[in-house]
Amino acid sequence: MDKINGKILKEMLESGCNNLQNRQNEINALNVFPVPDGDTGTNMSLTYANGIAEVHKSGSEQLSVVAKVFSRGLLMGARGNSGVILSQIFRGFAQSVADTDQIDTKQFAAAMMNGAKLAYKAVMRPVEGTILTVVRESAEYAEIYVGSQGINSINDYMDLLCKEAKASLDRTPELLPVLKEARVVDSGGSGLVTILDGFRAYLMGSPILPESEEERAAAAKTKAVGYCTEFILHLSETGSHLYKEEKMRSSLEKIGENITLIQDGDLVKVRMNTLMPGEVLNQGQRYGEFDDVSVSNLSAGPEKPSILEGSPAAEKQEEKEFGIITVAAGDGLRQLFKDYRADVVVSGGQTMNPSTEDFVSAIAKVNARHIFILPNNSNIIMAANQAAQVTEGKDIHVLPTTSIPQGLCACISFNPEEDTDSNLAGMQEAIDHVKTGQVTYAIKDTVVDGREIHQGDYMGLYGKEISLTDPDKVEATCRLIKEMCDEDTEIITLIQGSDATPEETQKVQKYIEENFEVDVDVKDGGQPVYSFIIGVE
Amino acid sequence: MTVEKKTDYGNITVSADAVASLVGGVITECYGVVGMASKQVLRDGWAELLKKENYQKGVVVKRTDNGLTIDLYIVVSFGVKISEVAQEAQKKVKYVLEKSLSQEIESVNIFVQGVHVIA
Repeated sequence: MDKINGKILKEMLESGCNNLQNRQNEINALNVFPVPDGDTGTNMSLTYANGIAEVHKSGSEQLSVVAKVFSRGLLMGARGNSGVILSQIFRGFAQSVADTDQIDTKQFAAAMMNGAKLAYKAVMRPVEGTILTVVRESAEYAEIYVGSQGINSINDYMDLLCKEAKASLDRTPELLPVLKEARVVDSGGSGLVTILDGFRAYLMGSPILPESEEERAAAAKTKAVGYCTEFILHLSETGSHLYKEEKMRSSLEKIGENITLIQDGDLVKVRMNTLMPGEVLNQGQRYGEFDDVSVSNLSAGPEKPSILEGSPAAEKQEEKEFGIITVAAGDGLRQLFKDYRADVVVSGGQTMNPSTEDFVSAIAKVNARHIFILPNNSNIIMAANQAAQVTEGKDIHVLPTTSIPQGLCACISFNPEEDTDSNLAGMQEAIDHVKTGQVTYAIKDTVVDGREIHQGDYMGLYGKEISLTDPDKVEATCRLIKEMCDEDTEIITLIQGSDATPEETQKVQKYIEENFEVDVDVKDGGQPVYSFIIGVE
Repeated sequence: MTVEKKTDYGNITVSADAVASLVGGVITECYGVVGMASKQVLRDGWAELLKKENYQKGVVVKRTDNGLTIDLYIVVSFGVKISEVAQEAQKKVKYVLEKSLSQEIESVNIFVQGVHVIA
């Protein structure tokens, strides 16, 4: 192939996107610089996916438009350092190919080079040994090679680019000591190599496809098939007795996905994607009469606005005095927060920080005069604060909770009968009162503050500090609990994560009951990352 | 103001200038930040990039009950997502300072004084 047009560029970008999404966890594991919070892969992947989504939305297959729209999508959706840098690289790329319908190898090489240059311009003192180094070295090398050897094939160029990018990535520990200490290569650079590999795989004729179920679901959002089916159902008298939300949901899950199911009095709103819209309507009709039905083909053009928005049912709800928005990952924890009167639980947590926009839309969903936001993670407080600032007309208070137990305690101490100030004071007191412990495992060998940690070891985090490591999960948990308890301890809340078994939880519970005179409250949180979260009051 | 710490052997005092240089060094490495600016906006409202020697003009360190508060005045590059750049800068400054000063940092407040447009 000597030239590429907009369609090829678009498909190439998609292949890169899939490769990045498939491997984001590996990239997360490499993240030690500038702050070791293990979110580079997720950040890059979300940034990149936003770019792809914009390309799909535009529907254009003209090269300059695809490049421009993609770069704008990256810019608007940029998350984290790596996301911002990625947006600059493609901004340079797009600038270089503006006003062209197809580009040859030389132009492609020049565009990559321009991307690298522009990325460097946005920082005063670039740190070498990062994604910047990788993009510069590989783009320079490949461009010079293309010029001197007269290479015309894009495939050959991409081969060179990938090879040099990989070599440059392998050199990053030599340039950045913190990488060497942790025995990793740079995470952002590794993300870029992953994207380029995706490009190359596409040019070789075997584009990368999304892998696991989770990723398929994410891809389904950008490239959906089937019918978007939605209706408002008026429950009949017998129907309202028969109707159970859980039952309805589980029967709908068998025939489709992306299900939204809301009940409001005798009105039920349903929206979902399915291959069998007739079946969905049959399910609904068992309970009553339809108010409004809409079925649209997802593969035929852009989505139509939902009939559910602005429906009479939505306006009928009365404004409440108080609303609570919180953040959690894991079905169990989400349910737990809902049980404790949280109105909206934004999905997120460690390694998966929700954006300001997520909070803004959560705030819009809560129909209340005073809203409390519990971010439950120090990295998320900022986004919550920003959301509070940009939202007008509502009284929003962000309580700086930095952990799940703090959030839970704050929810529990919330009293709808009291006024805002005394609630704030009460919740703050509850937050100050609870101590947080978390047990997680090391994904690689590393050295933190002089403490050697081996891959697979369990780490006990007390507050923010790593207070102990232990090869055994239960042992680590018990030791951590011992450290956290003192004579004033009254309640221990133990939240089981997705990778802990009920047997392990029982062992820990038994340990607590045998050694301390306290109440134990065991919950199934199902959260990722942390095997156990412990709250001590 | 200075950052002080008592040990068994005596006192450690880190001057405000030293903290400013440290913060300046960290912030100029942050992606999307083109430099530091003075906290006083000049007469015609034009934020000038500070030279290395003058970094303390763009850094204010205060002590509160919960640790240090740091105000930072910076200039960012045109065409980046400013909210994200500023947030990453906060994260990095907090991380590096807590590590190198062993002091709790309560907050890092970023003031974007200007946007640098590259010709």
